[in-house]
Amino acid sequence: MLRYLTKRLMLLVGIVFVISVGSFYLIHLLPGNPATVILGFGATPEAKAILYKQLGLSKPIYLQYFVWLGNIMRGNLGISFISQTTVASVIRSALPIDAEIIVISQIMAFAAAIPTAMRSARKPDGILDRVLGATSFTLLSIPPYILIVVLVLFISLKLGVSATGPSAYVPFATDWITNLESLSLPAFTLATVSYVIYYRVLRSDLIATLQEEFITMARSKGISQRRIMWRHAFRPSSVALLGAASVNIGSLLAAGFVVQYLLQIPGLGYTLILAINESDFLVVQGIVLTVSVLVVAINFFFDFVINIVDPRISRE
Amino acid sequence: MSNFSLEEAALMMVEKPEKGEPLGLFFWICVFWIGLNVFGAIFANLLPLPNPLYENFNAINIGPGLHHIFGTDDLGRDIFSRIVYGSRVSITVGIGAIVIGFGIGAPLGMLAAYRRGRFDAILTTVMYVLLAFPAIIATIAVLSFWTPRSMFKIIVVIGIASIPLVYRVIRTATLSVATKDYVIAAKVQGATDRRILMKELLPNIAPIAVSFFLIGVATVITLEGALAFLGLSVNPPTPSWGNMINEARTVLSQNVWLAFFPSLALCLFLIALNFIGDRIRSHFDVTEVKL
Amino acid sequence: MSDDKLLVVKDLTTTFATAGGDLAAVAGVSFDLERNETLGIVGESGSGKTVLSRTIMGLQPRVNTTVTGSSIIDGFEVVGASENEKRTIWGTEVAMVFQDPMTSLNPVMRIGKQIDEALRVRLGMNRKDAKARAIELLELVGIPSPVQRYNAYPGQLSGGMRQRVVIAIALACSPKLLMADEPTTGLDVTIQAQILNLLDELKERLEMSVILVTHDLGVVATRTSRIVVMYAGRIVETGTTRDVFYHHRMPYTRALLESSPKVSNKSHTRLITIPGRPPNLLNLSDGCSFAPRCKYATDQCHLVRPELQPSVEPGHSFACWNPLPVNAEATLP
Repeated sequence: MLRYLTKRLMLLVGIVFVISVGSFYLIHLLPGNPATVILGFGATPEAKAILYKQLGLSKPIYLQYFVWLGNIMRGNLGISFISQTTVASVIRSALPIDAEIIVISQIMAFAAAIPTAMRSARKPDGILDRVLGATSFTLLSIPPYILIVVLVLFISLKLGVSATGPSAYVPFATDWITNLESLSLPAFTLATVSYVIYYRVLRSDLIATLQEEFITMARSKGISQRRIMWRHAFRPSSVALLGAASVNIGSLLAAGFVVQYLLQIPGLGYTLILAINESDFLVVQGIVLTVSVLVVAINFFFDFVINIVDPRISRE
Repeated sequence: MSNFSLEEAALMMVEKPEKGEPLGLFFWICVFWIGLNVFGAIFANLLPLPNPLYENFNAINIGPGLHHIFGTDDLGRDIFSRIVYGSRVSITVGIGAIVIGFGIGAPLGMLAAYRRGRFDAILTTVMYVLLAFPAIIATIAVLSFWTPRSMFKIIVVIGIASIPLVYRVIRTATLSVATKDYVIAAKVQGATDRRILMKELLPNIAPIAVSFFLIGVATVITLEGALAFLGLSVNPPTPSWGNMINEARTVLSQNVWLAFFPSLALCLFLIALNFIGDRIRSHFDVTEVKL
Repeated sequence: MSDDKLLVVKDLTTTFATAGGDLAAVAGVSFDLERNETLGIVGESGSGKTVLSRTIMGLQPRVNTTVTGSSIIDGFEVVGASENEKRTIWGTEVAMVFQDPMTSLNPVMRIGKQIDEALRVRLGMNRKDAKARAIELLELVGIPSPVQRYNAYPGQLSGGMRQRVVIAIALACSPKLLMADEPTTGLDVTIQAQILNLLDELKERLEMSVILVTHDLGVVATRTSRIVVMYAGRIVETGTTRDVFYHHRMPYTRALLESSPKVSNKSHTRLITIPGRPPNLLNLSDGCSFAPRCKYATDQCHLVRPELQPSVEPGHSFACWNPLPVNAEATLP
């Protein structure tokens, strides 16, 4: 276990290094002098000087990386060219929104996927299984951005729920009811997207698990069906579910970006797209770096949990 | 499968296929539908379609009718024509990127699984590191900095991002075949590596490769749509399914058809692709591949 | 007399609905079992002995399976009972030792928990008592340092140790009948004897009846009082162990005996194999299922199925049109 974790941790460090190099190099993909492109033509010499210091632009490129990295380590991600605030503070105010949406959506997705997958797996090819199978297959093919358009159309036009927007968003601490109301639509959309995957993965793994000999063994002990499903079948199968959740997190964030943009909720996604459209490159770079590192860290965390659930993995 | 990420497409490959299911009528309907779309995309300029960029201000936001079967948009452009032309971007990006991914990832994956040893160990570790990198975020990042954007760049970026995953799927599939007795027997009989790879391994991994290819195309098309939403795909007025839906959003209350038809075209295309991919996999009863 | 029998199986039939049609894995099996008796069920793989042992306790697969006939364990009719009803006898009246210890333990549960579970759910013990009892059971089945092993995962144990755990789980609720389905097949030869001796010893100590299912006649020779020989889902010969070994009448029993190695054989003795393959249960002929592989088979054998008929010894019967002569003893080594 310890050896396995050490190995994974070393890999994690390697991955974060690759991410940092990648993120650093992004600004050199820009055509022309990064300073000019980032600041625009009308930039003051002071602004340029700050940027040169931030990015170490006067030094050779490999030294630039260390200057940049040193700044990042100290939490200095640069200054937003548009809002003139630090990139770090831009991210700090946007990140909790993403976190909240994702946490709510995942709770919803798990709460729906686990019982339905269990029902389906108990009677494969039963009516419920067929209906859910066809529905999930279709939903799997529908991109989240179409789903959200349909949902917005349906909910805001038919049900008359107040339109959401940057002004409608209220932080959780200020007014949690309005906050949840404004985030329910994006969370629901992401939950649907995740549900489809979790349901299918868990169902197919449960069907395989239920055919294992240890399930017959559990039956022969005379314990209840419910207990067999939860204690004996779900636990080994939850490894597949956690694996799916881990893989899902990256694309969930991306789906979240689009959804936020469509609903104008000022999370990381919305901020990112505004920054891309306004060529506020340091904000883009900061968000990309933060999100990538977060995704990798979350994957690492899932790895750890999977290890606890299934002791076979670290022994292999 | 199409929730932006090939990782999930790969995940679906773990689902146990039902043994040797028949292809069925719906499979052929899907094949026909894909064929029709590809035909339309290739021969769009030979077909009797109105110019998708022609703005007719006398016919703005009209619903489906005889002159414009899907109606017109807020600039009076023919929606049907724009959908057919828009499929060019979506299909080209989808196929182009996956061709790059397979072109590099598949041979590497097969070789690594066949040769094993150091080559495999190093390559697999490198790919593992790359896989851990959230590919969608990387795609968004590179495309936002690598300006001016073009279809070529989009294809290259998504294509490269898909290499590690194609590598992993193909490597795992090959691995499950390469350890089979008949492959070892062929080796013992002195068959050349080239012969074993082409005659023994390739036919056996073909169903999963084809399946993953199709589902991969569907995924990339979805991704292209998302990029269009984020303003990172081809620039208007060139139509693509993604940017048509995106533009239609703002006029949703005036003209629902404007969003409806491209969405429908996109969804039907994706469902058909995914269905074909899934059915091929289950029909040929591919041995379960653990990822 | 008959009401004191622990197990009465009558005309038990298990049919699976498969894509290729209905398949009778067990067809019209009848036998009974006294208290504190050990019975052997012997046959090649595919003869239906595993399905039989599971059907006896009602543990057959729940989908696409039909069971008819009767199996009464200590007065409880298993056939037709619901899963909930059967649960009341599983573990406490009848328990099973499974064939493959590699797959029959839940890989993600600590072994102690797997033993505890039955104790807590079935016997209503509290956590502490259950743990103490589980450790006792681990000790009983001969697992060294049971307190530490209690927290081990199955993957951390050897095959032999795992099979001991499987036995401990089966014994947890002190069943009256223990079904042992090929309990040693997955194990090394040296471990096999240990496990079999353990089962013997436990049977004596705990006053259980045991049904030992195996393909290996060597396993049942000294451990059982009676033997049931199965072929293609039917009983083809049954009697005391002695009768089956020395006075068998059915050519299939002879073939089974000749194909198992004996210590008394000279080295390099060629084992006699049974020609042909076990029949395809999906298209059985109306005749004797063994006829296609039997050197004594006549037209009658191929056309009409022989029923079990008594032999000269009490309780010994066989199903054959052309049985071996009554005194076949001399031909055996």
